[in-house]
Amino acid sequence: MKIHVAVFFFYPCKQNLINLCIFPKLIHILVKEVDKMNEERKQQQIYQILAGSIRKILERESLDFSRLQEIRLRVGKPLLVICENTERILSGEDGAPYLVTKEEIRETMDYISRYSLYAYETELRQGFLTIEGGHRIGVSGKVIVEGNKIKNMQYISSVNIRAAHEVIGCADPVMRYITKNREVCHTLIISPPCCGKTTLIRDMIRQISDGNAYVKGCTVGVVDERSELGGCYLGIAQNDIGMRTDILDCCPKAEGMILLIRSMAPRVLAIDEIGGEEEIRALEYAMHCGCKLIASVHGSDLEEISERPGVKELIEQRRFERYIVLDHEGKPGTVRGIYDERGIRLCGK
Amino acid sequence: MIGSILVLTATSGAGFLYGMEQQDYLEKLLYIRHIIYMLKGELEYTKAPLGEVFGQAAVRVREPYKGWLHGLERQVERRKEDEFFKIWMRSIDRDLHTLHLKSEHVIQLKELGSCLGRMDSTSESLHLKLYVERLELEIEKVRESLSAKKRIGNCLGVMGGIFLIVILI
Repeated sequence: MKIHVAVFFFYPCKQNLINLCIFPKLIHILVKEVDKMNEERKQQQIYQILAGSIRKILERESLDFSRLQEIRLRVGKPLLVICENTERILSGEDGAPYLVTKEEIRETMDYISRYSLYAYETELRQGFLTIEGGHRIGVSGKVIVEGNKIKNMQYISSVNIRAAHEVIGCADPVMRYITKNREVCHTLIISPPCCGKTTLIRDMIRQISDGNAYVKGCTVGVVDERSELGGCYLGIAQNDIGMRTDILDCCPKAEGMILLIRSMAPRVLAIDEIGGEEEIRALEYAMHCGCKLIASVHGSDLEEISERPGVKELIEQRRFERYIVLDHEGKPGTVRGIYDERGIRLCGK
Repeated sequence: MIGSILVLTATSGAGFLYGMEQQDYLEKLLYIRHIIYMLKGELEYTKAPLGEVFGQAAVRVREPYKGWLHGLERQVERRKEDEFFKIWMRSIDRDLHTLHLKSEHVIQLKELGSCLGRMDSTSESLHLKLYVERLELEIEKVRESLSAKKRIGNCLGVMGGIFLIVILI
């Protein structure tokens, strides 16, 4: 009887011990598998838009797609691949650098547009389009102008495939500073180009939308004029931007903000790269509507943007409660400092 | 006597069937026009990529056009051909051969694919309109000759039957 009782109690304990030992391993294996699947999906998404001959070269090179940043195709120029900020010139079967042809660019554009260039006129006018997976395709060629405005683009001679890279959790270090009583503060991210402001703002949106220890999950409205934040494909965000997020894809920022306030009643509005006067006015309007704003602006520091018309007034009126300044030292996304509305440093170097 | 009646019925029936075939052919052309109008509408209104346009139209049409449009949708989404024109040509040969269209009509339909997906939406729409106009001319031709052909079919059927009966007797 005693033995039976001992076994009865010991068995679950032993099982728990086994579980405790196995679970982290299992989770580790699962995470690895998910990463592998994501990489395979990314590879598939990028391969399917490349001309057959270019696809073969990339397959031969067996690229690490988890580190892939860009693939650059230029008519008559070598095929370039950028992985982890390192550029590589890919060679053909003869060992010489592989030169991209006009036909390959045309074929690639056919695949990118799913044989329907007309469907991407608006995007082409802006010089880029987004494909499945949120990867961005930048194009350049001959621009057709009508009445001082870009009407379309033809004779596309360069294609830049920028692989989407979400950095889940990159906003963790800033979340505690941009929240007060579990509410988001009006926040402006100041960063030079290519310093990770879009990646940061995307993760901030995700965390605010889902909620975490610092903020209660709430509805977030995103105006994504250049499909950078959500990386929308057919209107659906390809990046994780949270469960309470409503996104307006390819919509002008000023109009989009007003539209979202009226239609989706967001608690937080997020926009990337503000600058125009119209956008500043819409931003002020949104702040007066009770929405919390998260925006980004190009600049190297708070002093520099304080001189910029439009933004200057917002800073003087202390509209923003937090400023996050990024820089490129070390790696993209490095936070140089976080400041409050008076310009007092809350954290940073 | 019975044999004569049977022969006459058979030849008259053949003549009548010929007339029906002509009518059927006209309906096929009208249906193709209807499909092209549908594609044009989808393209102008939604400005969606061709694959989606074909997919949307496919759910609203009957076989074999449904299979043709679904096939086109699949091929476009698969992105295995370097040109859309090849997909278009192949799909017509594969899926629409059961329609037994005249070679000139098949050529016209195939030519339509040469410019699809390559231009801006206005030009795409105009290109489809141009095809519809050409098709309407063909429809008009078929319609004009339809009643005459029907009559000839019926007459020839009866006359042929009588002729056969006379010879057999």
